[in-house]
Amino acid sequence: MMILAANPLEDVDWLFPLMECLHIAGFALSIGTIAVVDFCVLGAGPRRQYAAQISRSLGPWTLVGLVDMLFTGPLLYLGNGGAVQYNRNPGFQFKMLCLVLAIIYHYTLHNRLIRSEGAVDGSAVAPRIAASVSLMLWCCVVFGGLFIAFTEA
Amino acid sequence: MSLLSICQWLQNTDWATAIRQSSYVYPVILASHLTGIALFGGLLLVSDLRLLGFALTKIPISEVTGRLRPWKRVGLIWMIIFGFLLFSAKAAGYYINPYFDTKVILLLLAGVHALVFRRSVYNRTAELDEMAELPNQARVAAWISLALWLTIIVMGRMIGYYELPNEP
Repeated sequence: MMILAANPLEDVDWLFPLMECLHIAGFALSIGTIAVVDFCVLGAGPRRQYAAQISRSLGPWTLVGLVDMLFTGPLLYLGNGGAVQYNRNPGFQFKMLCLVLAIIYHYTLHNRLIRSEGAVDGSAVAPRIAASVSLMLWCCVVFGGLFIAFTEA
Repeated sequence: MSLLSICQWLQNTDWATAIRQSSYVYPVILASHLTGIALFGGLLLVSDLRLLGFALTKIPISEVTGRLRPWKRVGLIWMIIFGFLLFSAKAAGYYINPYFDTKVILLLLAGVHALVFRRSVYNRTAELDEMAELPNQARVAAWISLALWLTIIVMGRMIGYYELPNEP
């Protein structure tokens, strides 16, 4: 078990909190950039005509945030007990389910509807529903993540 | 009446006690605070990245930074409400927590930042769009805002790592 004994996340005091901060900054960036586009489609913030353009230009920033989360997330998981601590935790299970759904949804249905012509002039209902579902899914991911600390396996 | 005694009074009010002793109300408030960070923090990042010219450069500053402003305010009020509820549940403990002090000071500085750059940057996004080159003030405002809020997030997370000296 040499590898486990040398896990730097357990040996260096400040590394775990640093990973947590990066994780929070990562989801502020990814969820925030997704939310800006969703708000835009819903009629808040920049005008609807810019929705597709904003969605495309913010895409790389959303991805940076997602990569950050998907990098620091597993490190937090491993640094805090891994499978034994997490796998049967209802908060964790809920979060993972929502996260997988949210990511797949974002890169398929969501992006397509947000960038459609109906979203630009506000005539179609589907893009607005897509934006609301997106906001709700991502809020569920955050709630699930926080509840990991308050629910038990 | 000292600040500490105000904190003790606050944490002993019925509702603060109820939050502290609940099993699920406290985490719901915490998660709401965190959701506020994702929304407010995200809007702030997008606004500042637009000012700095790192993102959305083809869309006018007034559309992004200007029109997101009222929603940033909504996010800010949301975070402050849930943040205050979190604070009141354990006010006396936070009072002696050095990370909490730092966070409050940085929040006050963020308020000063908003006031200082209000006239020169945030109230005139439409004028900024017409300028050939963005004035330095706008860039300085965006960098300071990014630095301040990132540090505030870090300090907020560190609050939970401070161990009270009296606790066993």
